[in-house]
Amino acid sequence: MTPEFERIIAAKEKRRKDLAALSFPEKVAIVVLLQKMVAPIWKGRGREVHVWQIPAANDQSVLADPSR
Amino acid sequence: MGQMERTLAVINELEKGGLVSRYAIGGAMGATFYVEPVVTFDLDVFVVLPTDSGGLLTLAPIYEMLRSRGYQEEGECIVIEGIPVQFLPAYNPLLEEALAEARETMYADVPTRVLRVEHLLAIALQTGRPKDHERIRLFLKEADFDRPYLTAILKRHDLEELWERMNG
Repeated sequence: MTPEFERIIAAKEKRRKDLAALSFPEKVAIVVLLQKMVAPIWKGRGREVHVWQIPAANDQSVLADPSR
Repeated sequence: MGQMERTLAVINELEKGGLVSRYAIGGAMGATFYVEPVVTFDLDVFVVLPTDSGGLLTLAPIYEMLRSRGYQEEGECIVIEGIPVQFLPAYNPLLEEALAEARETMYADVPTRVLRVEHLLAIALQTGRPKDHERIRLFLKEADFDRPYLTAILKRHDLEELWERMNG
């Protein structure tokens, strides 16, 4: 593994840990953001799903950097 | 009050009213309490049901009450304040124990209960679908859990061999 790749893997691990450490309501807001992202795909496969009417995390960058 | 808070408040009313003896959040949303958010479209709520006069355990009174308040069924779920909720009766000793030992927490200003991570792990192991195995992998990687407590659960519910086979 190259140092660059190791750095990327370490950053991914840190992001996951940071996401895991968020509060429950903050995580639910991210779940709603994920629902908005995947609902069209699931609907396209014929599965009826409804995105919860809860304010989603403000923007997708929170998934990349939970400290935002 | 937000949508999730309203949903949980209705579930709390079911418990206060005696339609369920005890409840706790499990499934993907229960897992999300401990690890990175996992996409799901419903809320799995495990319940201990009071026995009726005939000794039967049934979800019917819960559904009747919720229907009378205007909540609609949707597949296996009933939509409470916009969130599809699936009620799952505790059908074996592991789930009964998990509910008895679920942790009390707050969602914003609404009290609720979530299954302990060690029980979620054991339930995923017992259920054994590919998505349960993926969840176990996530728990092991990201969640803080009490290993002696988990070991005791696995022993009590004859899951040690399965655990060894998966993680050995």
